[in-house]
Amino acid sequence: MRKIENFNIQGDVAISVKDMNLYYGTFHALKNINMEFPVRQLTAMIGPSGCGKSTLIKSLNRMNDLIEGCKITGEIKIGDTNIYERKTDLARLRKNVGMVFQRPNPLAMSVYDNIAYGPRTFGVRSKSVLDGIVEQSLRGAAMWEEVKDRLNKSALGLSGGQQQRLCIARSLAVEPQILLMDEPTSALDPISTGKIEELCTELKNRVTIIMVTHNMQQAFRIADKTAYFLLGEMVEMGDTKELWAHPKNKKTDDYINGRFG
Amino acid sequence: MAEMVTKEKNKLSFKEHVAAAFTKENIAKVIFIIFAAFSILAVFAIIIFMLAESIPAFREIGIIDFLFGSVWNPSSDSYGIFPMILTSLVLTVLSVVIGSVLAVFTAIFIVFYCPKKLKKIYTQMVNLLAGIPSIVYAYFGFEMIKPIIEDLSGRTFGYGILLSTIILSIMILPTIASITKNSLENVPAQYYEGSLALGNTKNQTVFKVMVPAAKNGILAAIILGIGRAVGETMAVQFLLGGSVVYPTDFIISISSLTSKIAQEFGESSGLQRQALIAIGFVLLVIILIINLALWLVKRNNAIAGNSVFTRKIKESDIEHTAPNYKRTGTLQDALRIVSYVIACLVAVALLSIVVYVLVKGLPEITVDNLFGRSTNSNPTLAPAFVTTLYIIVISLVIALPLGIGAAIYLNEYSKRGSKFVNTLRLFIDTLAGVPSILFGLFGYIFFAKMFGGACILAGALTIVLMILPTIIRSTEQSLSEVPDSMREASYALGAGKLRTIFRVVLPQALPGIITAIILSIGRIVGESAALIYTAGSNFLMPNGVLDSGSTFAVFMFQLQSEGLDTKYLAYAAGAVLIIIVLLLNILIMVLENYFKNKAANKKGAIRRFVDKLRKKEVKDAQN
Repeated sequence: MRKIENFNIQGDVAISVKDMNLYYGTFHALKNINMEFPVRQLTAMIGPSGCGKSTLIKSLNRMNDLIEGCKITGEIKIGDTNIYERKTDLARLRKNVGMVFQRPNPLAMSVYDNIAYGPRTFGVRSKSVLDGIVEQSLRGAAMWEEVKDRLNKSALGLSGGQQQRLCIARSLAVEPQILLMDEPTSALDPISTGKIEELCTELKNRVTIIMVTHNMQQAFRIADKTAYFLLGEMVEMGDTKELWAHPKNKKTDDYINGRFG
Repeated sequence: MAEMVTKEKNKLSFKEHVAAAFTKENIAKVIFIIFAAFSILAVFAIIIFMLAESIPAFREIGIIDFLFGSVWNPSSDSYGIFPMILTSLVLTVLSVVIGSVLAVFTAIFIVFYCPKKLKKIYTQMVNLLAGIPSIVYAYFGFEMIKPIIEDLSGRTFGYGILLSTIILSIMILPTIASITKNSLENVPAQYYEGSLALGNTKNQTVFKVMVPAAKNGILAAIILGIGRAVGETMAVQFLLGGSVVYPTDFIISISSLTSKIAQEFGESSGLQRQALIAIGFVLLVIILIINLALWLVKRNNAIAGNSVFTRKIKESDIEHTAPNYKRTGTLQDALRIVSYVIACLVAVALLSIVVYVLVKGLPEITVDNLFGRSTNSNPTLAPAFVTTLYIIVISLVIALPLGIGAAIYLNEYSKRGSKFVNTLRLFIDTLAGVPSILFGLFGYIFFAKMFGGACILAGALTIVLMILPTIIRSTEQSLSEVPDSMREASYALGAGKLRTIFRVVLPQALPGIITAIILSIGRIVGESAALIYTAGSNFLMPNGVLDSGSTFAVFMFQLQSEGLDTKYLAYAAGAVLIIIVLLLNILIMVLENYFKNKAANKKGAIRRFVDKLRKKEVKDAQN
């Protein structure tokens, strides 16, 4: 059994996207994207529905491969590896680039098995090691105290907010270098949303986080960098505070000041 | 004075009350309830009449001697069924184990691995396998597989458990596979995505997440398969051999509960006949227990957490070492190959059955064999056409209104989850699980005796009970798919409930009803065990519905059992049956496509409209 290596990320850039175009069949969904995601920071992607931000985040761990007729040109590099090369190892990619989905998607297993599922996939069998991983990951997602007495219960019995934090913990369990979050709070109530935002600000000290969000206040509250997308193009990207105060592009200005969308 | 006025008022309002109770709407509701309750009545009637007819045998023989006796010898009045109980058990266990493994892998192949272009054809093929009548399976096993077993084993006769297991596994496969397929398709897509996003391969995701998530559905499918295996009669009657011995060898002439009934019932009388009905009652009890188990499994569909990990984590257990992450998944990769291999085997099995029956039967299909005058010494298939048509028409005319009415009650009137409805469903499911040989026995006890002997009408009434659950379920399914917004729209225009149901809801459910009709026709055409003692088994053209007559499958059964000089006609009947089943399957496929296209066109129009709106919005925003 081959060992799974981490990506070799040196310097400040975790992922760089160069001249990337994406087509769904004949529909040109992403147009000439060039951007860099900084290491151990939280980058938010905002924009109206259908602007391509979710499509972009899904191409960072190649979940777009599941969609028929999806074609990508250009390159996406993590460290020094182009993840769209023919010989790309998807297991390695997805172990190191975790993903949290819009709707919480715990598997139909116990809380414990949900967390242990990833490590087991990568050959971790020892119970004591797994126990350690489960506790660490749950603590990492700030929910250990809530669930430590119900680790054997079905994960489907948790509340929506708990389920989503469980999904974050599940992603953390395989020690990813990058965590993708696709509108992680859009299906949650304000209190659960608050908890997840808190969690994200803590996590970004360890993991590079890239988040798609519909909620501009959320981006303003927790993102270090923000990128604005419109109609498949990246209009503007910059430090969040800077972007809100002095947007360079008029379209960005319109959007964040509520004149559009 | 004032008092009198109020009294008069009360009187009037009471009259009005009575009048209100007899409105069209209320009468219709009561009729629907009665139709729905018919299934409960049918199940009770079957249990009570079977029991009543078995009691003399139980008294005469003694329950213990009957259940645990080893000797079955009608000429010395010894009736012990223990060897047959054991044989049924062994046969069921073996064929369910083999059939389930094959079926689950077949379903996995269809849902996850089958190339898109092949998927439709392959699914249709499995459906076809489900539609092939028992009697054709019997004939294929007898003519094709038995000689192979004889050659390989060196025995004179290839009868027995081995032969029956091979055929029975193939027979129950489609039932298990199609239910497993449905439950796999119903596993939420997020599980699939979630598992892939954690770095699992497709194979790992399929076998570690998707299949376990569908385990309740798979369990229900297997229990249903058990029911079919226990109750299968005609196929095993030809393949087991017929001696009553303990199952000590796989290749030995032997009898199961069902095969014994089919083998001796026709020529039995007196205590022997009562004992055979008593075997039927024992079978009924077994089937009721299986149905109850199925019901419990279905009810308990909340997905529980994996209980393997029952221990809690103790803080002292924890090792904080960074683990080595390695690649895994070889086992799942191997399982994928297994599913390919099994899918190929299933395809080969089906093709060989169809080709074999057609090759042997087509040359025998001549105008004379099909439409010539039929006599007992020189039979033709002409009476079978007439009888089959009679039975199809009569039973559908009765079963359709009953079934649709019941489905309307279940979907439009009943409160979901109420006790009455749950009971109703239990009884409908039970009726669906009763093997056809028991319908045959009940039809003989009840309908045939009512009309003074086997006749087409008695057969058709027996068939009504058999196809009723299919019609109810299929109709209810499509009723439930009609969106509530349509009903609301109709009510909002002032239409009553009846008008809404008949003008708005039922037309939408038409595809389901048509499918139910075709499925029912398939069952009737292929049915032999339920008809042989109720509609009769002679070779003559029937004179009306009170005369006896044989359908194709019964014809084939008779020809097959009677000897060599009429066998050519059995081949012809087999080919005709296969052709009818093929045509019905193609018809269902064509209709499904037709209805789907119709729906897709509607959806397409809506989508185009929404797209247009959206584009306009975006344009406005840009300006």
